[in-house]
Amino acid sequence: MIDRWTIATIVAMALMTYLTRIGGYLVLAGRRLSPQVMIVLDAAPGCVLIAVIAPMFVSGRVADLIALGIAIIAAARLPLFSTVLIAMLSAAVMRHLIG
Amino acid sequence: MSDFKRGLRASTPVLIGLVPAALVLGAQATTKGIAPLAVPLMTGLNFAGGSEFAAIELWTSPPHLVLIAGVTLLINSRHLVMSAALAPWLRHLPRRQALPALFLMVDESWAMALADAKARGERMSARAFSMSYFLGLSAALYASWVAFSALGALIGPVLGDIQRWGLDMAFPAVFLALLRGMWKGLGAAMPWLVSLAVAAGTCLIVPGAWYVPAGALAGILTAWIMVRL
Repeated sequence: MIDRWTIATIVAMALMTYLTRIGGYLVLAGRRLSPQVMIVLDAAPGCVLIAVIAPMFVSGRVADLIALGIAIIAAARLPLFSTVLIAMLSAAVMRHLIG
Repeated sequence: MSDFKRGLRASTPVLIGLVPAALVLGAQATTKGIAPLAVPLMTGLNFAGGSEFAAIELWTSPPHLVLIAGVTLLINSRHLVMSAALAPWLRHLPRRQALPALFLMVDESWAMALADAKARGERMSARAFSMSYFLGLSAALYASWVAFSALGALIGPVLGDIQRWGLDMAFPAVFLALLRGMWKGLGAAMPWLVSLAVAAGTCLIVPGAWYVPAGALAGILTAWIMVRL
């Protein structure tokens, strides 16, 4: 069974997400956003994504850091699917070799 | 061919990336002690991959509701801009149709449906936006995301130690690829670098997952200061 905190957290997530999906349509649609606000709104998702994976950069595990470096190079050049495969493969190989 | 079918068909290249990501999401969820049934509940009600990966990364038992809801809001804040950009194309639809359809809006369906509308109508004509195309595309993405995340949760234990297979690296890789898609040069990426530095520093000093809001808010503040200068 699913405990009630799990359900409450999932419902809270769903509400937040739906709010963002209809928010722009309902609130921002009629108005013109200033270019400054657009730039800040544009930067926000990237700030969050990189903050979530920040611990990987300071994990201190050499195998993971090498794999992370390879993943960054792959992400810069390749589509999503290949990036994911290469990142997984390099992590598996590096951990096997270095530990 | 009907627009709905055309949308279904257009989903194929997206599914190549989406299916393995959904499997990994489900498998990772079970390693955090989330009940397998809760996985399709999350992916079906929330349906926003980035925030689901983040939620699972931050998951504890019991989960920190305020933190996870807040991070979900921050990660999906880009939807505000996306749905605002979509609004002029939905003018010909009543709200009772537009609001449920927006539940299905994800990066890929948003970008592809807009590109389709722009290809069909030279001018910004609301009627060029095909709701059937959007729904066909979205139906394929939604069904696959929910089904394969559930499958991932079921076969996750069979996959065994996820670290050994490098599966845990899939998640940072997805995020790095998303960041690549948002990349607009080093100058525009300054807020990201500040966010990374502050988050990394916070995670070394402060226990728990507070490094996410700390880094993200520092980054957004940097973006704000940069446009003010």
